[in-house]
Amino acid sequence: MSSDDEGALGRWVLLAYRMPRDPSRPRIAVWRKLERLGVARLGDGLVALPRDARTQEQLEWVAEEVTDNRGTAQLWFAAPGSAAQERDVARAMRSARASEYAAVTAEAAAVTGAGEVERARVVRRLRAELHRIGRRDFFPPPERDAARAAVESLAGSVNEPDEPAEPELGTDEAEERA
Amino acid sequence: MKWATRAGVHIDRAACAWLIRRLVDPEAVFVFVADPAEVPAEATPFDMRGVELGHHGGDCTFETILRRHRVDDPVMWRLAEIVHEADLDDERFDAPEAAGLDAILRGLSMTCPDARVLELTGPLFDGLYEYLRRGMLLDRPPA
Repeated sequence: MSSDDEGALGRWVLLAYRMPRDPSRPRIAVWRKLERLGVARLGDGLVALPRDARTQEQLEWVAEEVTDNRGTAQLWFAAPGSAAQERDVARAMRSARASEYAAVTAEAAAVTGAGEVERARVVRRLRAELHRIGRRDFFPPPERDAARAAVESLAGSVNEPDEPAEPELGTDEAEERA
Repeated sequence: MKWATRAGVHIDRAACAWLIRRLVDPEAVFVFVADPAEVPAEATPFDMRGVELGHHGGDCTFETILRRHRVDDPVMWRLAEIVHEADLDDERFDAPEAAGLDAILRGLSMTCPDARVLELTGPLFDGLYEYLRRGMLLDRPPA
């Protein structure tokens, strides 16, 4: 495991939870929230995050949401039984983020030939997406730097991101001017 | 009155303490606990799991307190959007101020004890409230 992983080694926070099948809406809401947090799914109703002040608090509030919706939830602090086991979990989390970053890189590449307004719009969207991925990225993969570089290079190709300027760029601007 | 919350204060707890002093209990005394079991019997707990003044129905604790006290001040609710995003970052609201506030509070929690964080953030929230109030009156960002 690379050295930048060491801060998270051996300190995990686990959420064990169970929710009623019906209604399904709160169960799906919790599932989505956990996806957004980038949890490792260790088993049925058992998820984990490297433990720090923020992740512990995030899972505490998910636990509260579970119990607010007639479920049961427990928070545990845990260390893995072996380094190999932890490596597997970290690898799965890193690989999930890697595909998200790769999607950003691909989206940035797809619009390099587009008009300036479109490029500016995509830059804003992808920066927000990078922020979203970044906050659940505990074991940064090499794809992260590539994605950042792709978005910043796209940003560099846009002169005035906030000012729709070029006349050939689209009907919106033309209409605004008319 | 005594109020208790989790140690390691971040944005929601700092903003709640300011709100409690401003709207609910000017004489509020705050204690910080590591475990819910340590909350003194006479204290009202907030921003902890399993208490009334916590996160409920997608609201952060600041919003929960505003609802419990039926606050309808639009400036306070705008401030609540910023606190919500700084705390949860779930994109429910458009609050670009949130990222900066989150960074400032995270930094303070690294360099100051909890009581000091509350001392420092009190004037910060006073100022933010006034900024938002003027912006709302002018209907544009105030100078």
